[in-house]
Amino acid sequence: MQPLEAKIADPAKRSMLLTALYIAQEQYGYLTKEAIERVATRLGLPVADVYSMASFYSLYRLQPTGRYVLQVCEGLSCHLVGGADRLVDYLRKKLGIEVGETTPDGLFTLQTVQCLASCGTSPAMRVNDALYENMTAEKVDELLDTLRGYHV
Amino acid sequence: MAMVNLTINGQKVSAPAGSTVLQAARLANIDIPTLCDHPALAPIGACRMCLVEVKGQRTLQPACTFPIAEGMEVQTESQPVTDARKFVLDLLFAERNHYCMYCEMSGDCELQALGYRYGIDHWVYPTYTKRFPVDASRKYFLMDHNRCILCRRCVRACSELVANHTLGVRQRGAASMIQADMDVPFGQSTCVSCGTCLQVCPTGALVDKRSAFMGRDIQTQHIQSTCAQCSIGCGMEIVTRDGNVLRIEGDWNAPVNAGLLCQKGRFDPLYDARPRITKPLVRKNGVLKEVDWDTAVQIVVQALKDTNAKDWGVLTTTYATNEALYLLDKLFRQELGVTNVGLLNDVAPKMVEKANGSLADVNNSDIILLVGANPASEQPVASFFIKRALNKGARLIVVDDQENGLAAFASMNLGMAEVEKAIEFAQRATNPVVLYGAGVTSEAARALQKLSGKAAFVALEPGVNTRAAAALGLNSGFDPSASKALYVLLGEQNWNGELVKKDAFVIVQASYQSPLTERADVVLPMAIWAERTGTVTNTEGRIQKVNKAVEPKGEAKPDWEILSLLASKMGKKIGTSLDEVSAHAAQAIHPS
Ligand code: SF4
Ligand code: SF4
Ligand code: FES
Ligand code: FES
Repeated sequence: MQPLEAKIADPAKRSMLLTALYIAQEQYGYLTKEAIERVATRLGLPVADVYSMASFYSLYRLQPTGRYVLQVCEGLSCHLVGGADRLVDYLRKKLGIEVGETTPDGLFTLQTVQCLASCGTSPAMRVNDALYENMTAEKVDELLDTLRGYHV
Repeated sequence: MAMVNLTINGQKVSAPAGSTVLQAARLANIDIPTLCDHPALAPIGACRMCLVEVKGQRTLQPACTFPIAEGMEVQTESQPVTDARKFVLDLLFAERNHYCMYCEMSGDCELQALGYRYGIDHWVYPTYTKRFPVDASRKYFLMDHNRCILCRRCVRACSELVANHTLGVRQRGAASMIQADMDVPFGQSTCVSCGTCLQVCPTGALVDKRSAFMGRDIQTQHIQSTCAQCSIGCGMEIVTRDGNVLRIEGDWNAPVNAGLLCQKGRFDPLYDARPRITKPLVRKNGVLKEVDWDTAVQIVVQALKDTNAKDWGVLTTTYATNEALYLLDKLFRQELGVTNVGLLNDVAPKMVEKANGSLADVNNSDIILLVGANPASEQPVASFFIKRALNKGARLIVVDDQENGLAAFASMNLGMAEVEKAIEFAQRATNPVVLYGAGVTSEAARALQKLSGKAAFVALEPGVNTRAAAALGLNSGFDPSASKALYVLLGEQNWNGELVKKDAFVIVQASYQSPLTERADVVLPMAIWAERTGTVTNTEGRIQKVNKAVEPKGEAKPDWEILSLLASKMGKKIGTSLDEVSAHAAQAIHPS
C-alpha cells in the first residue's frame, strides 16, 4: 500500500481535503486522531479545521467500524422490489447485531443507506467499496462466507 | 477611490466601491443589527440578523456580505425585514439556554439587546430542553455552550486574528458545537490564552473568570492605556469599577495591535499575587522599619551626597516609563556622573543606521527572517502577526541558537552561523522583513547589513521600554560587584541581587516584596502599571501613553515621581511636572 502522504499528491490545496480524508479513512478504517493529524500535516492545514470537516460529513467515520461495512440500500427502487427490509432483517438475524452495530469479532458493521445508484439491479448492497447486485438471502450467505474465509 | 451611490431607507448614501451594504449603512449612521459580524473579522453571513430588503432581489439579503451597487435601493427596517429578524431571534432564543437573568453577560449581551429591540417577550418555539456542557478547563475564562449562538466569531478571531487555529466547529446543523483542536477540553488544547475569542464573543458563552459578576459595562470605567509587559506596546483598555481593576481588554483602535492582546498583557498582570510594598522602608539596627517618605528621601539624599559617584551603581528595569528612565539617567548619569549603569535585560544590537521597519511590515512580507528573538514567549502579539503573514503565504526562516517557539512554523530553522543562507533567500524575496532580538551574534548582525535597503528591519527588544533605555544610554554596562552603593529601579521585576557586595548600601525602588527588597537598606514603594501616568516607547520607537486607572496602593508613588522627588531634594532642577518631564524624555529618546 502506498503511504497516505504519497497518495495525497497535491498537498498545497485545501480543496484536496475531502479526498485526503477519504484516503485516510480507507487506510485506517475510520478517521483516527493520527489519521487526522497526518492529513493536517500533509495539507498544511490546522488540525481543528480538518477535524471540523471530518465531523461535518456523515461519510466520514470518527468511530471504528468492522473490517467490512455492509451498506444495505433502503432507496425507493430497492424498497419496491421488496428487498431492502428483508435483506436488513436477514442480516440482523444472521449477524446478531442491529443496524449501526458491529459484530463482536470486529468483522462486520451493518448500515443502511439511500440509493446506491444501482436501481436497475436492485436490491443492492455495498461492502466497503464493492457493489453487490440483485441480492438474495443465498447470495448474502455466500458473500459472508467468502468474506469470513479471508480471516480464518 | 470610486464612490457608489445608493439609497438606504430613502436616504441617499455613497460609499466606496466594494463596500458591503452594512459598511455603507454604518458610514451613513444607519444602524443595521448584527450578531455574527464583527468589524475586525471577515463577514460570513451566518446569523441572518442583518437581513435587509434590496429592491430587485428575490429574497432578503444579509447586509454584512451583500456588496453595494450603483442605484441600489435598500430597506433596513421594513415589515418583511423585522419579521425575518424576529423569526431568527425566536429560533436563537429557543435553541439553547438564553435565560438571561442568571447570565453573567446580562445587560452587556448583544443577543439580549436585540431581543429587547425586537420585542422578543416570550418563547414562540419550545424552549431549550437539552443541557450543553460548560468547559471551565482554561485558567482565565470559561466556555458555557448553553449560551453559545454559534456565530463563530471566536473561531474566526482565533484563526484570522491570532492565527492560532485552535477553535473549530464540530458536527453540523443542530449538533454543531464550538470545539478545540480534535475536540479536546479547551484547557488541554493548543490555545495560547490570548483571550481574543473572549473579547469578541457577543453573548455570555465565553466568560472571564476573574471579573465575572463584578459589574455590567455601564457600571465600569474604561481607561485607555498601553500594555507595558513587553516591548510591543499594545493599546489596551483597563476596565475598573470603584477603584478596582476588573479586567483588561484590547483596544480595537490601537495602531500597533488593533485589538489583540496576549496572555501576558490581558491576564497575567491581574493574577500577580506577590505582596506589595506600600510604605517606605529603612533599615535601622539591622531591621527594615516603616518610615514616612520624608525620612526615606532624606536618607537617600544623604547617601547620594556622602558616596563618591564612582562608587555608585545604578541598575534599572525596563518595565518603567520614559519619564522615570529619563530622570534616572539625568540624575545619576548626567548630574551625579555615575558611570556604572545598566539594565536588567539585554538590548537588541544596532543593526542598521535606523531600524526602518515597523511591525505592520510583517503583514505584507513574503519572507520573514526571525533572528535571535523568540516572540512566541517574549512578544506574543508579534508572533501572532508572523503567523498571520504565514497564513497569507509568507515564509518564515528562524535563525537562532536557542530553542524557538516558532520553530514549528518555519520553513527553515538555521543556527546563527548559517545566517548567510537566510540572507540569500531574503535577497531573492520582494518584501523581506528582518525581525531581530538580543540573541543576534555580532557576526550575524554584520552579515545582515547586506540586506539594508532591501529588507525592513524591526527590532524585537527584550524587556519593555528597552528602546527608550538604550536611546538614553542606560545600558552602558553594569558591574554590581564594583559598587559600594547601589540604586535599583526594580519596579515590578524580580532580581535576586547576585554579585551585590555584602556591605553595599542598597536603595530599591520597587512595587513588590522580593529577596532584594528584604536585603535593601532603603525601599521606596512604587506604583504598578495600572497606577501611573506617563509614556512608554515601543520596540518600533513609537511613544505611547500609559494612563492611571486606579490609585497607587498605600503610599506607593509612580516611578518617575519618586525620582523627581529625589532630584528636587538634591536641589537639581530636572523637571517636576509630568508634562515637562515627558517632553524632555521624548526629546532625549528621539533627538530631533
Ligand atoms: S462562543 Fe461566543 S463567539 Fe463563539 S460561537 Fe458561541 S456565541 Fe459566538
Ligand atoms: S484564547 Fe486565543 S488562542 Fe485560545 S482559543 Fe481564544 S483566540 Fe484562540
Ligand atoms: S434504490 Fe437501491 S440502488 Fe437505487
Ligand atoms: S451579521 Fe450578517 S449574517 Fe450575521
